[in-house]
Amino acid sequence: MSQTITIDPVTRLEGHGKITIQLNPQGEVEDAHFHVTQVRGFEKFCEGRPYYEMPSLTARICGICPVSHLLASAKACEAIMAVRIPHTAAQLRRLLNMAQMVQSHALSFFHLSSPDLLLGMESDPVARNIFGVAAARPDLGLAGIGLRRFGQHIIELLGTKRVHTGWVVPGGVTEPLSSAHRDEMLAMIPKAYADLKLAITTYKQIAGSFKSEIKVFANFPSNYLGLINEDESIEFTDGALRLIDPKGSIIEDGITASRFTEVIGEAVENYSYTKFVYYKPLGYPQGSYRVGPLPRLNIVKQMGTPQADKELAEFKQLAAGPVESSFFYHHARLVEALYGIERIEQILADPLILDKHVRATAGVNRLDGAGQIEAPRGTLNHHYKVDENGKMTWASLVVATGHNNNAMNKGVLQSAKAYVKNGKFTPGALNRIEAVIRTFDPCLSCSTHAFGQMPLSLTLVNADGEVVDRLVR
Amino acid sequence: MSSTQARCLILACGNTLRGDDGVGLWLAQWAEQRFSLQSGVRVIADHQWTPELAEDVARAHSVLFIDCSLSLESGSLHLSPVEPVSGGPEHNTHHLGAAELLALGRELYNSLPREALQLTIGAGSTELGEGFSDSVTAALPAACCLIEETVLRLLSASEYPEPAH
Repeated sequence: MSQTITIDPVTRLEGHGKITIQLNPQGEVEDAHFHVTQVRGFEKFCEGRPYYEMPSLTARICGICPVSHLLASAKACEAIMAVRIPHTAAQLRRLLNMAQMVQSHALSFFHLSSPDLLLGMESDPVARNIFGVAAARPDLGLAGIGLRRFGQHIIELLGTKRVHTGWVVPGGVTEPLSSAHRDEMLAMIPKAYADLKLAITTYKQIAGSFKSEIKVFANFPSNYLGLINEDESIEFTDGALRLIDPKGSIIEDGITASRFTEVIGEAVENYSYTKFVYYKPLGYPQGSYRVGPLPRLNIVKQMGTPQADKELAEFKQLAAGPVESSFFYHHARLVEALYGIERIEQILADPLILDKHVRATAGVNRLDGAGQIEAPRGTLNHHYKVDENGKMTWASLVVATGHNNNAMNKGVLQSAKAYVKNGKFTPGALNRIEAVIRTFDPCLSCSTHAFGQMPLSLTLVNADGEVVDRLVR
Repeated sequence: MSSTQARCLILACGNTLRGDDGVGLWLAQWAEQRFSLQSGVRVIADHQWTPELAEDVARAHSVLFIDCSLSLESGSLHLSPVEPVSGGPEHNTHHLGAAELLALGRELYNSLPREALQLTIGAGSTELGEGFSDSVTAALPAACCLIEETVLRLLSASEYPEPAH
C-alpha cells in the first residue's frame, strides 16, 4: 500500500501552499508536488480597463513586491505609448527597485529563513520564528529590522507610501526627488552597510553546518534565466534576458520584453494554479529553468559595484560552473542586497538626480506593449494588448514563481526522497522540505495573482490514494 | 528613518478595498487631522502591521492600536488594554498583531510603552468594495469620540513621570 504525505500549510512564504508526497507500497517516496491552490484572475479582470491604470491595478497583486509590478507594468505601458522616459525618471525608478530588493531580501533572509539557519532545522517550532531569532541573536533581529526599514523608508520617501505607492506612472514618475529626501537617504546608508555585513558574516559562519541540506535542497543541473547588461553585469530594471544551460553556456541572449512571448511558454499541471514557465525551443519540461538571485549570479560575470564584485568572486568559487543547490539562494540574496545598497549610493550621487523633468507624455501609439524587470525573486514580464482607445483587450503576467515552479517541484521531490524513509517522517524533516521551497522565496500571491489566505499543508498518501497522515500549521 | 518618539502613537491597519476592513485607516486619517496641531501624536496607517514597526511601538510613551474584527458584532466598539505576547509556530512573519509587536519591541529594544490599548471595531462585511456597512458607518462618530477621549487621556498621562517600579 503506498502512502502520501501532505505538508499543509508550508509556512514562512509570501502566501501559502501545500505539499503532497506520494509513497509507493514499500513506503518510499515515489512523487511529490508543491500545490498552489489559489486563483485570482488578474489577467482577466484587467480587460476593459484603460492601459494607464495598469501599474496601480497590478501592483495590488502583492503587498511584498508591488514595486516590481509597478515597474514592469509602466514599462509595458511605455511600449504602448512608444516613449522613452527621462534620464532622471529612469534613475529614480532604479532607486525604487533597489530599495524594494533590499527590503525584500532582508525579509526573506532575516524574517523567513534565519529561524531555520540560526536556530536549526529541528529546533522547537514554537520558537522557530522571528521572536526566537530576536531572543537568540538580538543583533541580527535589529539588523533585519534595520534593513527592512532602510528599503521601505526609501520607498516611502519616493512614493509617500511604503506599500502600493502610485508614484510610478506610464512615462516616468509623478514627482522629482527633493534634496532633503536625498540627504535623508544618504544618511541611512552607513547603517545599512553595517546591518548587511553582519548578515553576510553570520551566514558564512553558519552555512558550513548545512552540508547535508545543501546536497538535497533542489541541488540539480538546470537552465538559468535573468536580465544582464551588455557588459555582462547584473541588471534589474533594463537590459535583456539571457538563458544559460547547466554548464553555463548561453542558450539564448538578448531576449527583450517584446520577444518574451515568442520564446517563453506556460504549461499547466492539474495540481497547481501556478503556471509552469519554460523556454519554448526546448519544450516542456526540458525547457524549464530557474530565476532569481542564484540564477542571476550564475549568469553574470560582474555585479558592477566594488563590494558586491568581491562577494561575487567568492560566490563563484562555490562551483566550477553554475552553483546548483538552491540553498545558495540565501547567499546570493545577501550579495544582491549589498549590491543594492551600493547602487542606491551611486544613483544618489548622480548629478541629475534632483532634475525636475521626470515624466514623458504620449497617447496610444502601439496596440501591443511589453515590459520586463527583475523582481527580488526573479524575472517579471507584463505584456498588454489595447484597442485604439487604449482599453485593455488582453494581459499576460509571467512572474518569478511560475518560472521557478518546475524547479521547486523537483526540489521538493529530491528533499522528500532524502528525508522521508519507510513512510515515516519527523517534524525536522518536514521543516526541511518546506525550507526547500523557502530558498526560492516564492510569492504565491503573485504567481496566482491570488487573493486571500492560502494555508499550506503536508499530506502523506498511500498507493491506494488514502491520506495516511497530514500536517497542518 | 529616525523613529520619532511619540507621546501617543496611533497605529492603524486595514485595506480600503475590502469594505469594513478599511475602517481602521479611515479612523487613522480622521485622527491625523484631529491631532494635526497636537505635538506628540504620531499616526501610522498601513495595510498590515509588520515587524519593523516594533521600534516605533517600543519607543512610544503610549500606543493606540486600531483594527477591525469579523468576530465582533458589526459596528460595536471595543477598547481594551494589550499585553505583549510572543508568536507561536503559526506566527506569520509578514504581519503581527498588537500583542506580538509589543513583545518584539520588548525583546529587541528592551522597552515597552507605558500604556497600550487596542480599539477594535466590529466589521460587518469585508467583501470587495470601498464603502462601509451601515452598522460601521453608524459607529464612526462614536469611534471618533472614543479615539479623541483616549488620546487626550494618554497625552495627559505622558506628561507625568513614570512611576518607580
